[in-house]
Amino acid sequence: MSVNSLRAYLDLLDTTGWLRSFDQPVSWDLEASAATMLANIRDGPIPVFESIAGTEMAAKLVGDPYRGPQTRPWDHFAQALGLPSGLSGRTYYDRVIERLNAPQAPRTVASHKAPCKETVRTGSEVDLLSFPWPYIHEGDGGRYSNHHTIVAPDPDTEWGTWSSHRMMIHDSSQASLLLLAGEQVPNRYYYDYEPRGEPMPVAVVIGAEPTAECTADMWIPTGRSEAAFAGGLKNAPVDLVQCETSDLYVPATAELVLEGHVRPDDRLDEGPFGDYFGYMNGPRRSMPVFEVDAITHRHEPRIPFCVEGSGVGYGQNSTSTLRLVAAGPDATVGLRAAGFDVSMAVPWRFTSRTVWVIATDRPYPGYLHELANFIFTTWGMLHIDFFVFVDAAVDPLDPRAVLTAIALEADPDDDFHQFGVERMPKVPLNIYQTPDEKGSADVGTSKAKTAKAYIDATTDGDAPDMTATTETRKKAQERLVDAGLDAARFDRLDEREGQSQ
Amino acid sequence: MIPFTQYVRGLAGDDDLVRLDGPFEVPVDVLAAEALRASGPALRFQRPTGIDLVSGVFSGPDQTQQREARPWSRLSLGLGLDPEATLVDLLETISTLGPTGGTAEPTYTGQAASATDIDVQDLQFPQSETDTWPAVTLGVASVSTADGTHWGPVHGSVVGGDKLRVRVPDALSSLVAEGTTITIALGVPPAAITTAYLLAVTDQTATPIQSCGVTGTVPLVPTNGGLVPSATEVVMETTVVDRQPDFRSDRREGWEYVVESGPLSLSVERVRTTETPVIPLSPVGRPLADDLRLTGLATAASLYHRLNNYWGISPVEWLMLPAEAELGICFVASDVLYGGFEWQLANILFSFSSLFDTVVIVDEDVPPQDFGRVLADLWLKSHPARDWVFSEPDAPAATRPHYRRDNETGSRLYVNSAWDPRWKETYIAPRVTFENSFPSGVRDVARVLWDEPDTA
Repeated sequence: MSVNSLRAYLDLLDTTGWLRSFDQPVSWDLEASAATMLANIRDGPIPVFESIAGTEMAAKLVGDPYRGPQTRPWDHFAQALGLPSGLSGRTYYDRVIERLNAPQAPRTVASHKAPCKETVRTGSEVDLLSFPWPYIHEGDGGRYSNHHTIVAPDPDTEWGTWSSHRMMIHDSSQASLLLLAGEQVPNRYYYDYEPRGEPMPVAVVIGAEPTAECTADMWIPTGRSEAAFAGGLKNAPVDLVQCETSDLYVPATAELVLEGHVRPDDRLDEGPFGDYFGYMNGPRRSMPVFEVDAITHRHEPRIPFCVEGSGVGYGQNSTSTLRLVAAGPDATVGLRAAGFDVSMAVPWRFTSRTVWVIATDRPYPGYLHELANFIFTTWGMLHIDFFVFVDAAVDPLDPRAVLTAIALEADPDDDFHQFGVERMPKVPLNIYQTPDEKGSADVGTSKAKTAKAYIDATTDGDAPDMTATTETRKKAQERLVDAGLDAARFDRLDEREGQSQ
Repeated sequence: MIPFTQYVRGLAGDDDLVRLDGPFEVPVDVLAAEALRASGPALRFQRPTGIDLVSGVFSGPDQTQQREARPWSRLSLGLGLDPEATLVDLLETISTLGPTGGTAEPTYTGQAASATDIDVQDLQFPQSETDTWPAVTLGVASVSTADGTHWGPVHGSVVGGDKLRVRVPDALSSLVAEGTTITIALGVPPAAITTAYLLAVTDQTATPIQSCGVTGTVPLVPTNGGLVPSATEVVMETTVVDRQPDFRSDRREGWEYVVESGPLSLSVERVRTTETPVIPLSPVGRPLADDLRLTGLATAASLYHRLNNYWGISPVEWLMLPAEAELGICFVASDVLYGGFEWQLANILFSFSSLFDTVVIVDEDVPPQDFGRVLADLWLKSHPARDWVFSEPDAPAATRPHYRRDNETGSRLYVNSAWDPRWKETYIAPRVTFENSFPSGVRDVARVLWDEPDTA
């Protein structure tokens, strides 16, 4: 059975030894973040900071709660979905894809039954600064909430649209939201609400239940509800509750909900910030203003945050893990739904929002071009520069196998394809453009266009296969585990399907 | 100089070798390959005959996963370095084993392999599921000429009680005729097999070992073929019976992608072993195999040395042909001295090696042990339009990749993942790291938090 809340998920981690609570006072000013980054580097337990120095509010900070173990990043999330631990990556994908193919509409609950309404503050009681928002990296432009789900209106769905955009706190009621044009919610603001001079109602949901949290990072097409996909993942409807000050609905078990609106024609500074690329990204730029009208929360809310920048290279953090464990299976579903014969779509382990690896058959000439063309036009592509296509038999979760495919199969002459030179949009968070090329980011994309590329690292079918049979490999792995080698390192000994729900 | 058995004992002493007791229902090459895939320890296959096999001794962990050990740690130990030695320490050490420009008088000691009542089949070389014959891997072939002794890597098959079919570098083949004696040494000191690989990948097999640095470190013993390390586990003296046998193998050791090689048919005249010989094996053709690692390191040592003796200064920080990319990509970290230097650097590498036609250049401050960062910067710091630079399609195909095996020309590629030296300092984004992102006092607090016992 899937867990229903962030708290239940943290309890689950606790039972498996993957949680560490700190009772001693820890400051929101870099300390909580530094301790979290150490855990991310060391592949250690998830830290919960029970006592935040200098804060009256009895809130707790949770550092990168969704970061998975480096050997099997999907393991914690699998357990949150009620699946067994120890699944191979491919099996995990299969199970999650099954669920995403069966969305379940959410159900609404009354306010008095929604944990996120345990405390309701409106009007003069609203005080953003009463919460211990972390200052995450030295050099950041301010304190941030960066691990949340934004709920915004969507005329095509009953439950609005969910996404994720970092938020820099300015004062007791204002924050700047990083809205980058090209994505669904920013588009709604820049090209619908703002031109009409209307404020856009928004709710920032902090500490939503796991399946709600991860859908914000998926590439759900317009007209489809993230809430329904969250229900599919959960194998049960997600409970939603109406906001106090708008018609929006939010996950009822959330820790904290900031209700408000994004003002038209108004901007506040945002950034710089140590971003998901692993570099401090600047310059400080102007971004839309989120005005908070109401705050509702659970008793002693748990406020998750992500040490962005620590999820590149070998490191993992919440967002890099969620992309692997949720956005990957979702993209696989989406590409199959579009008619492509895709085995798996997986973000590259070392920089998950720059490169994706897609294992696929090639049923006809020109197929890869068509596939690349299709995915480069989807809304998530502002961040992604490269796709690497490998054979369906190659495990895209194994970076060594992918690197080998690139090295041996991708001919610089024929297999590297740029979609035009500098014709495509790019978020200004990249580090390879100059400040001039990034420009002022009026609507959040760089002034200069960039290129997108795909690499065909599929075989031409003539490479000798020297791999032993699956059965022999499995026997070998069993023998090695019997001899004392760590079972977690093997890929064919972990199919404990009988335990799954 | 560290003898092979001492080296194997050292790995066991470091908990970097696991013993497996026979019988082995699963082919040992599959066990070896699976242990390598899992970044496991070296393996010792203990057999009732007392003739053991070891695998993984020249390889190491998969660099695409975060591991405490480095893929070059074991070989560093074998060459007398600290297992914590840097990649550059190892590359420089490997370079010293090769041609020195002078000659040195070898040190002779008694032969450790003195037991003779044995034939080749008694050695029970491993045989994979799909191979017709048992395989001999990680051998050193020794041939004597008027100039001295010549070494080269050798691998092949046991096709009968006294028959071997092997492949050696063409340069070594050219030194022998039918009837010539070749000695095959198995289980040699790590310095010796590394030398054989270095000579092969630099196409200097014709250089006698008397002119190589290895002579000063590895005691030798004469055989009917040529000199071999006195501390060799198995010495097979053979006679060439056919210089052009019809012998092809799908499996090629890593060095065969670097230099031309050819088959020889050999008759085994005498086998000598130590009391309880230990024979190395490499799961040839499988990911991260020992022969692949050795080839990558020997090639990297040669290229590193040539590059840093090219401009009159030494801009290259490190260079790597990872087994994780099957030697098909060259990664180099360098100071980019000026605009356009990266083009020079990549094209010099293409001039010096035909293994690869893709080069990735990263900044000099990227440590080689942080390959995860290399695999991030490759995409993050290179502009998809400007920094993926393709040559005209007139270059010959590289030898390692699978494409363009029909002698057609094509493009080469270098990826510039280093900062542009012409950029202003203010354009360069600082990295998010534990050291950069937090002042020292905060770092101390974080460390103390985790180091305190959990009282919950």
